[in-house]
Amino acid sequence: MAGMLKQSGAFTITPHKVSLCILFKIYAPPGQFSVPFPFVSVAQHNRLGLFLLALTKSCDGILEPKLDELIHQLRMISQDWEASWLIDQLISRLSCLLSPEDLFNFFTDIRGILAGPETSLEDDQVILDPNSNLGIFLRRCILSFNLLPFEGVCHLLTNIGIYCKEEFSSCPPYEETGLDDSSNNLETYSEYENMDLENFFYEKVSEEIEARKEASERVPFHLHTPNALLSLVDDIDVPADSASKQSDKVRVAGPYEDPQSSMVHDSDPSGAVFLRTNWQIQGYLQEQADNIEKNSNAISLNGFENILQQLQKLAPELHRVHFLSYLNSLSHSDYFAALEYLHCYFDYSAGKEGFDFVPAAGGNSAGRYEIASLCLGMMHFHFGHPKLALEVLTEAVRVSQQHSNDTCLAYTLAAISNLLFENGISSTAGILGSSYSPFNSMGISLSVQQQLFVLLRGSLKRAENLKLKRLLASNHLAMAKFELTHVQRPLLSFGPKSSMKLTTCPVSVSKELRSSSQLISDFSSESSAMTIDGAFSTTWLRDLQKPTGSLIFCQDSGSGNSSNVPQFCAQPTSIPGSVLQVLGSSYILRATAWELYGSTPMARINALVHATCFADASSSSDAALAYIKLIQHLAVFKGYKEAFSALKIAEEKFLSVSKSQILLLKLQLLHEHALHGGRLKLAQKLCDELGVLASPVTGVDMEIKTEASLRHARTLLAAKQFREAASVAHSLFCMCYKYNLQVENASVLLLLAEIHKKSGNAVLGIPYALASLSFCISFNLDLLKASATLTLAELWLSLGPSHATRALNLVHGAFPIILGHGGLELRSRAYIVEAKCYLSDTNFNVFEDYNLVIDSLRQASEELRLLEFHELAAEAFYLMAMVYDKLGKLEEREEAATSFQQHISALNNPQDHDDPLVSIY
Amino acid sequence: MSSKESCRSELRIAIRQLSDRCLYSSYKWAAEQLIGIEQDPSKFTPSNTRFQRGSSSIRRKYRTHDITATPISGVSYVATPVMEEDELVDGDFYLLAKSYFDCREYKRAAHVLRDQIGRKSLFLRFYALYLAGEKRKEEEMIELDGPLGKSDAVNQELVSLERELSTLRKNGTVDPFCLYLYGLILKQKGNETLARTVLVESVNSYPWNWNAWTELQSLCTTVDILNSLNLSSHWMKDFFLASVYQELRMHNESLSKYEYLLGTFGFSNYIQAQIAKAQYSLREFDQVEAIFEELLRTDPYRVEDMDMYSNVLYAKECFSALSHLAHRVFMTDKYRPESCCIIGNYYSLKGQHEKAVVYFRRALKLNRNYLSAWTLMGHEFVEMKSTPAAVDAYRRAVAVDPRDYRAWYGLGQAYEMMGMPFYALHYFKEAVFLQAKDSRLWIAMAQCYETDQLRMLDEAIKCYKRAANCNDNEAIALNQLAKLHSELGRPDEAAFYYKKDLERMESEERDGPNMVEALSYLAKYYKSTKKFEEAEVYCTRLLDYGGPEREKAKSLLRGMRSTKSSFPPSDGDHFPP
Repeated sequence: MAGMLKQSGAFTITPHKVSLCILFKIYAPPGQFSVPFPFVSVAQHNRLGLFLLALTKSCDGILEPKLDELIHQLRMISQDWEASWLIDQLISRLSCLLSPEDLFNFFTDIRGILAGPETSLEDDQVILDPNSNLGIFLRRCILSFNLLPFEGVCHLLTNIGIYCKEEFSSCPPYEETGLDDSSNNLETYSEYENMDLENFFYEKVSEEIEARKEASERVPFHLHTPNALLSLVDDIDVPADSASKQSDKVRVAGPYEDPQSSMVHDSDPSGAVFLRTNWQIQGYLQEQADNIEKNSNAISLNGFENILQQLQKLAPELHRVHFLSYLNSLSHSDYFAALEYLHCYFDYSAGKEGFDFVPAAGGNSAGRYEIASLCLGMMHFHFGHPKLALEVLTEAVRVSQQHSNDTCLAYTLAAISNLLFENGISSTAGILGSSYSPFNSMGISLSVQQQLFVLLRGSLKRAENLKLKRLLASNHLAMAKFELTHVQRPLLSFGPKSSMKLTTCPVSVSKELRSSSQLISDFSSESSAMTIDGAFSTTWLRDLQKPTGSLIFCQDSGSGNSSNVPQFCAQPTSIPGSVLQVLGSSYILRATAWELYGSTPMARINALVHATCFADASSSSDAALAYIKLIQHLAVFKGYKEAFSALKIAEEKFLSVSKSQILLLKLQLLHEHALHGGRLKLAQKLCDELGVLASPVTGVDMEIKTEASLRHARTLLAAKQFREAASVAHSLFCMCYKYNLQVENASVLLLLAEIHKKSGNAVLGIPYALASLSFCISFNLDLLKASATLTLAELWLSLGPSHATRALNLVHGAFPIILGHGGLELRSRAYIVEAKCYLSDTNFNVFEDYNLVIDSLRQASEELRLLEFHELAAEAFYLMAMVYDKLGKLEEREEAATSFQQHISALNNPQDHDDPLVSIY
Repeated sequence: MSSKESCRSELRIAIRQLSDRCLYSSYKWAAEQLIGIEQDPSKFTPSNTRFQRGSSSIRRKYRTHDITATPISGVSYVATPVMEEDELVDGDFYLLAKSYFDCREYKRAAHVLRDQIGRKSLFLRFYALYLAGEKRKEEEMIELDGPLGKSDAVNQELVSLERELSTLRKNGTVDPFCLYLYGLILKQKGNETLARTVLVESVNSYPWNWNAWTELQSLCTTVDILNSLNLSSHWMKDFFLASVYQELRMHNESLSKYEYLLGTFGFSNYIQAQIAKAQYSLREFDQVEAIFEELLRTDPYRVEDMDMYSNVLYAKECFSALSHLAHRVFMTDKYRPESCCIIGNYYSLKGQHEKAVVYFRRALKLNRNYLSAWTLMGHEFVEMKSTPAAVDAYRRAVAVDPRDYRAWYGLGQAYEMMGMPFYALHYFKEAVFLQAKDSRLWIAMAQCYETDQLRMLDEAIKCYKRAANCNDNEAIALNQLAKLHSELGRPDEAAFYYKKDLERMESEERDGPNMVEALSYLAKYYKSTKKFEEAEVYCTRLLDYGGPEREKAKSLLRGMRSTKSSFPPSDGDHFPP
């Protein structure tokens, strides 16, 4: 990790360390017995010991604490007079250090605390074991003092002076006011910016609210407002009464606000800031990197940048800072800054930091710039420039082959396959062909997906050989993903006799998933180098500041303070966060797989597992995905009300996740809802908005694009514009075919069948339905298959009553899966179709078996009420009324008829309907 | 422009004031300009002309026209500086302090002046404190050089000095010299806007302090900032503007300013050196060399700006002149970054790159922010095939000055050497962005696009086009354009560029393989488009060259004749048998 850093001198003696030494001396005064003077009990004495232990291991931030902070902490741990005695001692001894001679004497004295090898342990003597944590720390202090040249001693002396002066002048020092150091300047500047931003947001919001009051009957649209604002407005909507709460919310959302930046503010401009040791800084940077990934919205661009700048000023040779800057600007989608920082980092570090860097035995002057290419490629991928990314990654492949850097090659191949997977690239000819393809020499051109498969296999094999466990696991995941959506075709098929088994194989998907998680379980037995030194003692230090925690813990450490003690004793978990993350995403993938294969309970369980177990470790986009899956599930099974309330929670949690998956979900739900409610104009608007979210680059954001045009076709269908709907669906089919999106094609075909059915052209619809059915069978899409069967049944039914039995058989065949796994809509549709089949069947006797029909219809109508799906509900009630009419049950007939009328009027007149939409949107 | 006489008297007084305040480099600069003022022939005395060039050959050679007729600045706002008499009481203390100061005992000087209130004493105390802090800072920078390269040493005196000076300024009792110091301090503290205002105040009330102008110049990083400055006119402003224009890469504007200033300061070495600098940026190496030769003749112990001279000698591969120069500066003052740089250049020219690196390193030790040494060291590392070190050196040059296109270009080259042309493109783009009119950069970028790994020929063509448009000296672009077009199967474009290239070669009277290539392509092209007359012209020209081309041309001619004979001969007597 810290390959570039000179290890010698990593531990420098600073005023903070000097005061720790003073405290050590108080803790273990030489030649004293049992409990030294100020302490009344062993427990108290031990508490100071624990505190010192925590201090030596703490790494709360990159800078060492100031004297007043230390004093504050001392006050927290001890009783009144004892604390003040400690503090007095500390300050007086510090201020005694006036000349180099004092310092020399001090450190000679300190050596007396340590037990020498020949010291006989007398019974009660307090003495430090030189090999204990405290002892080692003390020895390091003494050693680094002894290594100091005279200049260093002078510097230490002046620094101690500054360190003390800060505490003595309780009021802010006079210089402070006249000072505008550059960093301070920046800070105040960003503060002003905050204020402006806040005001701006606040004004915007209040304007919004007023506008809404004025025109409450109109649904407001913010087609052009930025996302942040959009989500803000939504937040404001609920607690519109208290102004303070609003501003609080605004504060959270403001991307420039950052509590951490206060640290920069504190830092003394006169130069008395001290970095902790290298390892702690590295640990801090690592932690921040994780943080950026986990919740990027919580870290503000400028605030963190300020810290990094300061860090860079303090340690110009610590190049990793540039990488953090890169990550920071990446997470805030600042393309140019990210590009600049990335290049800067690799120019300085030559790729010899981080990743799985193992310093080569021989002269490693070559530099490892292929990693730079890899990172650049991933950056372009992130910003949605697939062509550029592919270029760069190809270069990375070439260079890593040249330098025989297999690790980097494996990662690069994984990145390329990821790229090919995520982005639709219709042809890689000429880009990838020359450099990496074992088949190229044979003169066989492969399709993109075949190439992808080859790449995945190559990366997998390499990862296996190189024992890159994390990469291997994520490669297995990628493989599972691939097998989930792509038809397994024999790679090289010669002649007509080769078997053409065109199916996906769920077994191999689950095999891949399983092997990915198995590999990860290896990590639990392995000790990891990634844990940050002393992370847990810092948490304990933080706990000290909570008033209750400290009291209970101080009085009697044995008594059951369940929250603190285990935390203190427990070892930090040995499974690194990145591993947990891969594990978590395997659960998401499982959920997706089950979703596709049509088992909703399994999908829900897996999403739930992710949301509950991996919430801390996973990246924010993964976590958001799990929430999205759960909310979708709610919408399908419990209706929109519940889904919207859940959405609200999710929105608060993920305020501004990149590419705003949550926003996407919201639009989807709203569109669905609008379609069901018959508000087609709104539906179209929402659909357009959905389309805008996709990047304009071809091949990027294919999912959103397909989604948008699928929804567009459905809206047109609902508006009974069959021709247009059919043409949209056709072009969508072509696009999906071009980009190999076969799973999507199944649903497009089904939609086409649906369009033909609605347009009354059943004969044309049947081939589409059958095609969709065969797609579903080959991809094992059971739920979609059931839905297609249902459509097929409807199509048969509309060909005339003579086909009613066939249709009924089809419906009954699909019933198990529909009732077991289908959502509200699918189930009620099935019920209605079944009823219709019965009713149109000539052999069916209404008077005897009417219960059969009525039950289905009642069930359907209840479920549709939850969905607020007026069109189908009206149909159900209509059929019900007809049956009752036949039976002569007039009262029930009237009841059904009124319900029918209600639904019809709601459908035709969507405006006066009490609408949860207005509030959410 | 005010008359030479008034300039002279202004400078004479200013020099005394500047030397009273120990502002050595301003003092030196002003004295140089004073000597640089052309003497009136009436007052010609042999002693006065001793330092002046008897025959200003440069001026005769290169000054094509006199621009003295265009006075840019209006009437000078500031009259001659007033000699102020310091109070006699603290005069003695002042004298003692000045002597300490001259012996570089700054703290001692400041202590002597601790409660003097005269203006000179006040300034000298501040300045002494400031310099003491600077000295300590330099020392600390070496002392504090920790494992992470910690170098945040600051001048400890800045805080208190800033406080005192800002109170002085608020009271309105501040003099221009203190303002200059205040501006300097503000700049170091990063408060650039206020620093600019203060420095403008200083130069407006006392324009003869060249240090203040240079500080102001370092704060003018864009033309907009320059235009926003509210400077009253004075002939010193012209010096300032000329220098700023140069920094902002407006070389021609800068040159014309200097030419104008030569009207008064006809013998100023400073101006000559600056003109050389501008010409160097315009890549007029011959002129630069002439100017420096002249400069060295009149001022043989000059080290300033000589690194540029060495660059020119390097570019022209003048081994002995460069070695001579290196020897001379070495004997004069070997511990100057310029000297080290010159020696480094010499070794580099000799192909002893390791030794060159040693000297560039030394130059950087003497001045960490010595831009050209970083870049040159990068070049050396490239030569030594140690690309990571080169990348590092170039990146540090970029960190010193992000507008240094040479370093960006070097970075691009280094990555291209490592077989990462696509990655290198980023750097070439940066370089080209900074120096859009440099054909070499465009050509480098085009070659990057052309590499086997990328083969992005359309982009390469675009770059070559840009290169051809900005005065491509080596004439690579046209030939390459023609080649690429023919490669891409666009014969019309290819012929067009070959023709252009041919014209160019003809006008420059160059000859060589490119000529043959162009001729044979054009001959074939015109033959294939059935324009036989043109084809014949090119073929006959090809006959002048030997080798296979000649034979090819012969066979082409024969073929054409045979095809022609099958047609009805319109002017068949063109080639008598």
